[in-house]
Amino acid sequence: MSVDAVTRLRLLAAGLHTTLYAEERLELPYDRVWAVASDLAGELPHLVPLLREFRVPPGDADRKRAVAVGPLGCRSAFEVRLTPGWCLMQSRLVVGGMAAVPEGDGTRFAMLGAARPAALRPVQWAYALGAHRSRAFIRKVELRAAVRP
Amino acid sequence: MAALVRAARAGDALAMDEVLTAVTPYVNRLCRPIALSDSEDAVQEALTAVFVGMRRLRDPQAFYGWVRTVTVREAVRVARRTAVERAVDPDEVARLRGLVGLGDGELSAQVRDVLARMPVHHRAVLVLRELEDLDERTAAEILGVAPGTVKSRLHRARSAFRKAWQQ
Repeated sequence: MSVDAVTRLRLLAAGLHTTLYAEERLELPYDRVWAVASDLAGELPHLVPLLREFRVPPGDADRKRAVAVGPLGCRSAFEVRLTPGWCLMQSRLVVGGMAAVPEGDGTRFAMLGAARPAALRPVQWAYALGAHRSRAFIRKVELRAAVRP
Repeated sequence: MAALVRAARAGDALAMDEVLTAVTPYVNRLCRPIALSDSEDAVQEALTAVFVGMRRLRDPQAFYGWVRTVTVREAVRVARRTAVERAVDPDEVARLRGLVGLGDGELSAQVRDVLARMPVHHRAVLVLRELEDLDERTAAEILGVAPGTVKSRLHRARSAFRKAWQQ
């Protein structure tokens, strides 16, 4: 018995003491949901506010280095771990994660966000309104998965 | 491992993920014979306690010992939440190590059945003494009881296991 991807992300959220975590059942097939979540270059800028571009090298490697570009052109390097149902991204300042597992005809989907340095945690708490923002992210994933060709 | 634990404590999520991969089979192995049918809940609650509490761990070198303590306590707590405990009649358990197995595999139905008829605290003592090879004092510290209590529980658990196995 091993923990599934969503449980795994929930455990990381507990370890990171973040308020930016949510999970929900989506009434869409897993493949459809994960097609959106795993298309980091194509979809992340639509899902994350203030992200203009997310550059990921092509290929199927599960460990990659990506670059996030903000609205004013500022860049941050990210380490990315991407496998089916699991995505964990980390820069010097932030952590982001998504996980999905099939649940009947639907999908259990989870997202995580966290500020890395302890000094930023009060900002995270003030900014977060955690559950609200993370649910909004999941809504966007659901909408884009529903209309994705 | 200590370096990974240090990084994880400092908020490195990638390190945390690697620690989770490394520690999950061990937590599984401890929870299964104690929490039995509740072991999935026990594993999740133990891992949550490990990750929430990791920041307070003073010595990363002692990580596995600390994980063991946290896990056994959580497994006992979860098992007691739902357990209908029945006393079992006496006898031996030298075979337990071989019977329960040290891998991540399922417990055999027979072993599971015998364990299920023991009180939760007897199962916890068996795991700590027979599978983890801990001495009485250490097992007592983990379970929060006197060493003499561990000794008597172990005696009763071994007896119960032998008797039940022979039936």
